[in-house]
Amino acid sequence: MALKLNQSEFEIHRDEQKCISCQVCVRQCSNDVHEYDEDNESIISDNIKCVGCQRCETLCPTGAIRIKQRESEFKYNYNWSPGHLKNIYKQAETGGVILTGMGSDKPYTIYWDHILFNASQVTNPSIDPLREPMEIKTFIGRKPDKIDLYKSSGKNMKNPVFLTNLGPQLEAEIPVLFSAMSYGSISLNAVKSISRAAYEFGTFYNTGEGGLHKDLKKYSESTIVQVASGRFGVDKDYLNSGAAIEIKIGQGAKPGIGGHLPGEKVNYEVSTTRMIPEGADAISPAPHHDIYSIEDLAQLISALKEATEYKKPVGVKVSAVHNIAPIASGIVRAGADFISIDGFRGGTGAAPQVIRDNVGIPIELALASVDIRLREEGIRHNISLLVAGSIRSSSDVIKAIALGADAVYIGTAALLALGCHLCQKCYTSKCNWGIATQDPYLTKRLNPEIGARRLYNLLTAWAHEIKEMLGGAGINAIESLRGNREHLRGIGLSEKELSILGIKHAGEAW
Amino acid sequence: MQGRLGKVKKIFIREEFCIACRLCEIYCQVEHSKSKKILKAFKEEKDLISRVLVEEVGFNSFAIQCRHCSEALCVEACISGAMIKNKNTGIVICDENKCVGCWMCIMACPYGVIKRNISEKKVASKCDLCGDEEYPVCVKNCPNEALQLRDI
Amino acid sequence: MSNILEDNHLKAKYVIIGNSAAGLSCAEGIRSGDKKAKIMILTNEKFDNYSKPLISYFLAGKIDLKNIFFKDHDFYKKHSLTLLKDFNVKKINFRNKEILSWDDKKVIYEKLCIAAGGVPIIPQVELAFLSEKEEPGNNSNDSHIKHGRSGIKSRIISEIDIKNIDGIFTFTTMDDSLKIKKYVTANKIKESVILGGGLIGLKSAESLLSLGIRINIIEMSGRLLPSSFDKTASEIYEKAFRDKKSSVSVNKTIKRVYIKNNKVVAVETGDGKVIYTDMLVIAAGVKPNIDFIDEETEERKNLVFLRGIKTDKYMRTEVRDVFAAGDIVENKNVLKNSIENIAIWPLAVRQGMAAGQNMAGFFKEYSGGFPMNSVEIFDIPGVAIGITNPDNFDKKHLEIITDYNRDLNVYKKIVIFENKIIGVLLIGNIERAGIFSGLITNKVNVGKIKDLLLKDDFGVIQLPAEYKKHLVTGDAVAL
Ligand SMILES: Cc1cc2nc3c(=O)[nH]c(=O)nc-3n(C[C@H](O)[C@H](O)[C@H](O)COP(=O)(O)OP(=O)(O)OC[C@H]3O[C@@H](n4cnc5c(N)ncnc54)[C@H](O)[C@@H]3O)c2cc1C
Ligand code: SF4
Ligand code: SF4
Repeated sequence: MALKLNQSEFEIHRDEQKCISCQVCVRQCSNDVHEYDEDNESIISDNIKCVGCQRCETLCPTGAIRIKQRESEFKYNYNWSPGHLKNIYKQAETGGVILTGMGSDKPYTIYWDHILFNASQVTNPSIDPLREPMEIKTFIGRKPDKIDLYKSSGKNMKNPVFLTNLGPQLEAEIPVLFSAMSYGSISLNAVKSISRAAYEFGTFYNTGEGGLHKDLKKYSESTIVQVASGRFGVDKDYLNSGAAIEIKIGQGAKPGIGGHLPGEKVNYEVSTTRMIPEGADAISPAPHHDIYSIEDLAQLISALKEATEYKKPVGVKVSAVHNIAPIASGIVRAGADFISIDGFRGGTGAAPQVIRDNVGIPIELALASVDIRLREEGIRHNISLLVAGSIRSSSDVIKAIALGADAVYIGTAALLALGCHLCQKCYTSKCNWGIATQDPYLTKRLNPEIGARRLYNLLTAWAHEIKEMLGGAGINAIESLRGNREHLRGIGLSEKELSILGIKHAGEAW
Repeated sequence: MQGRLGKVKKIFIREEFCIACRLCEIYCQVEHSKSKKILKAFKEEKDLISRVLVEEVGFNSFAIQCRHCSEALCVEACISGAMIKNKNTGIVICDENKCVGCWMCIMACPYGVIKRNISEKKVASKCDLCGDEEYPVCVKNCPNEALQLRDI
Repeated sequence: MSNILEDNHLKAKYVIIGNSAAGLSCAEGIRSGDKKAKIMILTNEKFDNYSKPLISYFLAGKIDLKNIFFKDHDFYKKHSLTLLKDFNVKKINFRNKEILSWDDKKVIYEKLCIAAGGVPIIPQVELAFLSEKEEPGNNSNDSHIKHGRSGIKSRIISEIDIKNIDGIFTFTTMDDSLKIKKYVTANKIKESVILGGGLIGLKSAESLLSLGIRINIIEMSGRLLPSSFDKTASEIYEKAFRDKKSSVSVNKTIKRVYIKNNKVVAVETGDGKVIYTDMLVIAAGVKPNIDFIDEETEERKNLVFLRGIKTDKYMRTEVRDVFAAGDIVENKNVLKNSIENIAIWPLAVRQGMAAGQNMAGFFKEYSGGFPMNSVEIFDIPGVAIGITNPDNFDKKHLEIITDYNRDLNVYKKIVIFENKIIGVLLIGNIERAGIFSGLITNKVNVGKIKDLLLKDDFGVIQLPAEYKKHLVTGDAVAL
């Protein structure tokens, strides 16, 4: 065997004074980093196998372990960064595409961090959300062009009758939904945690392209079922067991390419849920083979609406690409009730690193340009706009809404709440946190009762923070913030960026 | 465990969530050590005994400790009167002063959760639900709630 | 507790003969249903209560008088029990529901539980009384003589002899233990012969050894603890005895005991060997204590089946309102499906409880039991459960699996009949022994897990799914 050139990414520091050789680390690491040496009654750790997931560090009862990023691995070179070297060494060894997991970690501009939110002073009063009602409930679905009311005369004047036929709407208690993460890419316990949290909080989760496991049917009123190019698990019953349907065209982390769930992850449960043979590779083609135009998309949308008797909103998920604004316009015209746009920093279970880090555009820019374009075309109200791709906090949510989103999808944030430590090794299926794996030894580690509780807590916390910020800005309903760019200011952004975002620079008054 | 909430409490085993980390065993050893301090106990004390036992085969595992049976076979078998069931709290406890280490209880317990402690005087060692602690330490330190304290 | 001796016509709704495992458990059983009626407990001993199995620990000095009680001092008060100490039952007049003592006290009962336990078996050993000049062993070839060559007086040993002659003891009561303790200290005893290598023999041996006394065990059968051990198990302990400069002689009996100046001086084995000793412990087993049930009466015939008092599943005897429990009883051996006397503590407690509850009017079933015992001698723990020497079982359906690690002194033997465990012998490593008791009690089919039974990590997790589930998720109810 030839020499391997890659060095370890992490250093494991074990404080021998604190280590009691209880072997929790040995048992918990699925990468076999730690090993108990009977002769010395001590534990030896192998840096090179460590992926930095910090499971051992978290569980060590004496705090004896520290996982540290290993510094100065390679001789400094601005041009040839360690990333390039490592990839080249690896590819020279394997001849393969470099796979990765989660969203891109490359230092492109994060626009959320260059946008500031407003607050009231003197001329308009702020609102205390603890004392006064504050509405963050959000309806997702096509809104009518105008509202017709029948007003009777005489005594009944007070109770007008609503004449407009409003299409199906999703009613979310918070403008935050859980994004599509399929059973298969994540464990059933992870999906159970997410679906239960959505159900209990009164929001929605998305099945992803993995079908709907029978244990999750009880949460169907909080479920958005996805129809992707592989059409896994799709039948009439599936379509009808969700509250809404989402056609998946693309994913932010890997625009333009399909997916591949290797056969070894297709165990009995996954196979019955996806309706494919056990052990067979689950391949999602890059395009839907029946969609080559907006017209084709329109046909699928209406087919799905037919199948569900026009009772459920049907949406379309696309990745944020350069032409996103006209594409979105087409999607509205194809009859979709909502559009989900996934920015290029969106998470993934597995994607070629070269695509993840180099294809697509940031969600902030995509969102702003879509919102502006649809307004210009006068069709913004015809659709709800959901955005995803690295929504990290309640402030990201609030900024997204002021930039024109109806609601956001969170994926990575949800997984973090479940314990994910962003080691980005989802594709190895050895997730030590029991999330991105189907290994029963590992999936047990995620107790869905705890998972659901943590996610519920996260939503509760964000809801409080959102209300706090709205109140500060003198707004008592999230509806009033939607697309209200006057509440946003850019900082450290160029004229061009500001104009795409449609916001003023910090320091500029109304 | 009456006195905590005035109710009899019991530890429930949830096999599907046990991840075989054995933290329960570690904390049990500490709780029943002299110092009750993890580093001191493990570094300086000898013969720490865990009264909860993690069993593991493949990915199946669970932690099992005294079930504090309603008709406790160990109590029935005890020749010294050391093993008694408190009628109010439901807890079965071995009075280590009285225990003579005859192991009748070990022979009788169908769960196999009583251990020989021969470090000093021979005594039977078993779960005491951590006496005055609000939660038994195994329950408190299980990272995945595979052990749960519930009222019965 | 009160000890009312002035009144010699005592009456109680419930009377219990026996103040030990079965008797006190019976009292608790009665109180679980009847909180008020008078319960009277009779004992021929002078102690509040004590645990018989602890007398060896007491002798060895491992526990003091304070800890020999297995029920604490307010047990009697808490359950309002009247304890009559020194009440030595002479006879029971079942027709009049009267119990009479040797010192003419009388107790009248409505319901009676006989829990008088067992008494030591005294084997047919000859006592030879030597004069000052005579030496043991001269007349070894003649076992029939009443007056030997040199005019040696001899007779078959009796209970009175054990009381009166110095250095001969039985070992089943606290009194025995106290007497031995006194004797060995007063006479600075260095060596003792023990007749019998059963449980009591071993327990007394261990106590005496820990007092620095060398031991000579004479066992009639081919091994120690013949009812529970097999040859391998026995040898582990035999070797341990040898290591302590003591000896175990199997396949040997004592035919004669030499007495000089009313004191033991030697014993002679069946094959004529003379062993000089200052002390002899007779540990030839125990039998149900039924002497106070008049041999002549109709009731005796009804009560006694083989050697003990026969009881049904409610611990009732054939005589109206009379129950029995503990070592005195004959009941079902569930493994052999026979009626026999199983003299062990846990069953005494269980039977006592059932008897008491039934006396108070419940229908609490006692479903039978099987023998089991635990010993720890020279720090080698040993457990024998059920039938460990299956002689009368159809060989076709019988399987015996064993594992013997000589270096570690660990021996395991499992007896399986028709895919169910009926016996387990564990020496050296008894961790989790109770799992086997559970498997035996619940008649769990172990056909699929046979090769796991002997593994070191054998535990609940390997058990058949149904039974495992019962143990893990079951509401901790007794099986
Ligand atoms: C040395 C020794 C060690 C033992 N070790 C073990 C062991 O490790 N494990 C085990 O399971 N078992 C052991 N046993 C057996 C165990 O002690 C008995 O199974 C148990 O004591 C039986 O309880 P019982 O209540 O039936 O009778 P006992 O304990 O024999 O009690 C009989 C009671 O009846 C009273 N009594 C008897 N005759 C009369 C009378 N005429 N008048 C009034 N009262 C009377 C006595 O005072 C006593 O209170 C051991 C026994 C001995 C002697
Ligand atoms: S601490 Fe919890 S999860 Fe870990 S082994 Fe014990 S019971 Fe199982
Ligand atoms: S070992 Fe101790 S607690 Fe167990 S039966 Fe013997 S005396 Fe009782």
